[in-house]
Amino acid sequence: MTTWITEHWRLLLPLALGWVCVWLLMPRGPHRSRALAGIFGLAGLLAVKFYWLPPSGPLLQDIFFLTFAAMAIIGGVLMITDHNPVYAALWFAIVTLAVCGLFLLNSAPFLSAATVIVYAGAIIVTFLFVIALAQQSGSAMYDRRASHPTLATLSGFLLLGCLMFTLQEWGGQAAAEGGNAFLKVPAGTTANLGSVATEDLGSLRSVGRSLFTDYVYAVEIAGTVLLIATIGAICMAPRRSQGNL
Amino acid sequence: MTLNDWIILLLAMAIPMHVILGACAYLILLERKLSAWMQDRVGPNRAGPMGLLQPLADGIKFILKEEMMPGHINKFLYVLAPGITCFTALFAFAVVPYGPTSSEPGVFPFIIAPNVDLGLLFLFAVGSLNVYGIILGGWASNNKYSALGALRASAQVVSYEIPLGMSVLGVILLAGSMNIETIMNQQIEHGFMGWNIWYQPLAALLFFTAAMAESNRLPFDLAECEQELVGGFHTEYSSMKFAMFALGEYVHITTLGFVLSCLYFGGWHFPWIATAESAYPGAWAVKVLVLLTKVFAVLVLIQLLRWTIPRFRFDQLMGLAWKVMIPLATVNVLMVMCFKQFGWDPMWMLPGSLAIFICAGVVGVQSARSGRSLAAAA
Repeated sequence: MTTWITEHWRLLLPLALGWVCVWLLMPRGPHRSRALAGIFGLAGLLAVKFYWLPPSGPLLQDIFFLTFAAMAIIGGVLMITDHNPVYAALWFAIVTLAVCGLFLLNSAPFLSAATVIVYAGAIIVTFLFVIALAQQSGSAMYDRRASHPTLATLSGFLLLGCLMFTLQEWGGQAAAEGGNAFLKVPAGTTANLGSVATEDLGSLRSVGRSLFTDYVYAVEIAGTVLLIATIGAICMAPRRSQGNL
Repeated sequence: MTLNDWIILLLAMAIPMHVILGACAYLILLERKLSAWMQDRVGPNRAGPMGLLQPLADGIKFILKEEMMPGHINKFLYVLAPGITCFTALFAFAVVPYGPTSSEPGVFPFIIAPNVDLGLLFLFAVGSLNVYGIILGGWASNNKYSALGALRASAQVVSYEIPLGMSVLGVILLAGSMNIETIMNQQIEHGFMGWNIWYQPLAALLFFTAAMAESNRLPFDLAECEQELVGGFHTEYSSMKFAMFALGEYVHITTLGFVLSCLYFGGWHFPWIATAESAYPGAWAVKVLVLLTKVFAVLVLIQLLRWTIPRFRFDQLMGLAWKVMIPLATVNVLMVMCFKQFGWDPMWMLPGSLAIFICAGVVGVQSARSGRSLAAAA
């Protein structure tokens, strides 16, 4: 046990610091020690930074990566701990925009723009819509006081820890095999002929080509599921002619 | 990058920024004058000759006016909202060409961000953030009218984004690119008959309508409908913060004018005076002027529409988006797909579009008539 802890302290330290920060920030009545939580949170972020630093690139790119990543993490923490639901939705928007920045840094402009349109432009707007309709008079009891702060944060960080540990193991294995990719084409299958890029197609065309060759079944199934959901929504919607509106 | 490149880059950003902000002030004057003429009034005529200094007077008044802040508001969001509206409207202009574009070093580019592969998508992504200004402004100002206006605006903008995106799909398929410069240059290469309006007239109409709805202009300004909601989401705003909402709206319709001209009306191309071959001295100025004239025509059309078509009812507005424009845009995309797949002559797209439009009209009238007869029978 002790040896395991000393072996993995660089993973455990940021998790512990982050947990204390989120636990302190959870809404419980009027008094929250924001300053203390902020110190713990910053310490946790720094601890993560020293261990999980990405392979260093050009200075400007590193600065952008660290800014976007820090914005995403801080925004995420504030989104779940803010007791005003409107602010929580706005923090969610900030998280989405920061993650889109990360997509852009990894040369995925299509994914980035599509995420901004769908999430920031439509889904979070719908959240704000619902919140503005539901909360006419002040914030509700359940917004001001978290019901099980300790259990909730503990289970959340346990999950995060397991994920990070697995990713770390996986990344280490893949690096040992000479590649850094999480996903690899299985050795037995040949690549789809249509998806093999013969020339540089640009981001949009390669996304389209990949969607309709490599992932054609997934795309078709997703389309079918969406169609079924649309039909279901139309069936469930109240109608004036049937008298249930 | 050399110093020369930096100077060109800064100029390419600064010139359109200042021209647009200045032009917006005079667009407001033009709108007031046009409204006055259409209603048989005189309009603003006191400040300067023919009222030409009126925008200056308005600007000074906006800046010097008392900052009114209603009580019990969410101060941070209240101040942030006009900023978001202005920022997103100006930011979207980054990928819009405003002249004969080029990406060679040392040449004035006539676009702020040249060679953006996903130019149109960027435009829609930034434009879709515009609604935050309206929602937050309406919600934060602690007023039921404002909140109702914000709710309407969010439903409207989210709905009209779908026909907006689907109407340009036809053009994207025809050009094989989402880059606005590429789409424009392809039309210019093919001359006057290469303008996309000859192939996609229906899509141009749908795009224009949806973009008007996105920018909350009359007849789509349900979010600030005076008779029901005082001023809608900006009821509680005054002085410069109100001016920033107005500025955001005008920058938005200016961008709409540029994009419509570049996507459907051949950008800076005009037969004889500004073609791909024209290389006489000062050709660039003529090209920019041609593009600006097209944009001006679109803007005047928008302002004339304001007093021509009355405001929709809210269910009519949503019905227009979901029952008319989305099906029409889908059929239009299907038509373009068939033309591309079977290699038909694109010349037949114009009659095809008209046929779709007429069919939709007939179907609409028939279903309305049968609906009426059903109601009469019941």
